[in-house]
Amino acid sequence: MPMIVCHGPKGGTGNTFVAAHLAMGLSAQGAEVTVISVAARDSLPLHFGLSPATSLPAITAPADEAVLVGGINLRSWRRASEDLDFVPMLSDLGYFQPGKERVLLVDVPSGETRLARRLVEHACAHVCTINAQPDTLALLPQVFGEAGAEGLARTAFVINALDETRRLGRHGAAFIRELAGQRLIGRIRMDEAVPEAIATLQMLGRYAPASVALSDVQQIAQAVAPTLDSTSSAWVAPVSLAA
Amino acid sequence: MRIDARNLLDRLGRNEFAYREFEDRFSDLELWPLLEALLRDPRLQTLDQSPAETPALQTDNSDQVLAAEPLKNLFSRYEQQSVLPSIAKPVVEEPVRDVRAMLRHLSDLGARGEI
Repeated sequence: MPMIVCHGPKGGTGNTFVAAHLAMGLSAQGAEVTVISVAARDSLPLHFGLSPATSLPAITAPADEAVLVGGINLRSWRRASEDLDFVPMLSDLGYFQPGKERVLLVDVPSGETRLARRLVEHACAHVCTINAQPDTLALLPQVFGEAGAEGLARTAFVINALDETRRLGRHGAAFIRELAGQRLIGRIRMDEAVPEAIATLQMLGRYAPASVALSDVQQIAQAVAPTLDSTSSAWVAPVSLAA
Repeated sequence: MRIDARNLLDRLGRNEFAYREFEDRFSDLELWPLLEALLRDPRLQTLDQSPAETPALQTDNSDQVLAAEPLKNLFSRYEQQSVLPSIAKPVVEEPVRDVRAMLRHLSDLGARGEI
């Protein structure tokens, strides 16, 4: 049961959106997926078409309390940041072993940097969602400096909400491409269907099957899949990116 | 998605639009001061020092060579140092000497739909 950590440097970049759709994409590829939200204020259910009143069960809650959407198990652990037993608990539950049978995705809010770093040490991949806006780009040196080379070993980047009709957006994306190289595993184009799906309490795939954001994030899920079997301490670039 | 946009996509038999008509002229590619400041920050080289594995399957794709070029080489270009052989391959239309040239090259690739 490998773990993928979704954590970006700045709030509002779409980290939860990416976590939710990675879960859907990996589930569509045959994986049994659990998603844990560790946020105190949680928007994860909205990306699965659930009501905002939905309260996700704790990871330790019995199976009969589970919230399942399309076979994906949605869980929470709100005290993860101060719970020093969180990582050992995940290990005891068998979530750190490679393989596609069962996958754990952890949606970590941007402010929870220490928790993210603790989790990334045990993850097969860290998906860092950013946007091409200057205030996000300006944080990257700080993020890189704090994480260090070891902390970035399993990190891959996703550009979300990219608007290529805007000059600054294009230049920001070009900067990220140059910076990240093969670690940039995809970009998700700006798509109004994403908030519209939330507003209609539907999953994006049901509300707008032709959504460009949906097709983009599905490609990203395919790019992440090879890491599930990896036992390496380094990010493994998908063949399609390396070729 | 608006119903008129969806209908248009259905009629075209497509599920998306690609904005390839937005080409950057070289005069538009003046480096933003923020990007210039970031490029001078040595902490961004951390990613170059971080290990990454690539599958054994590799092809001689010069665009990927450029994309995979370590960031420290980009600093070298910014400082007008020598151009590395890896980025002086024929596909690069002219020697890439600085960040502005790099952005111009990326823009050209984007305009051709190659990135």
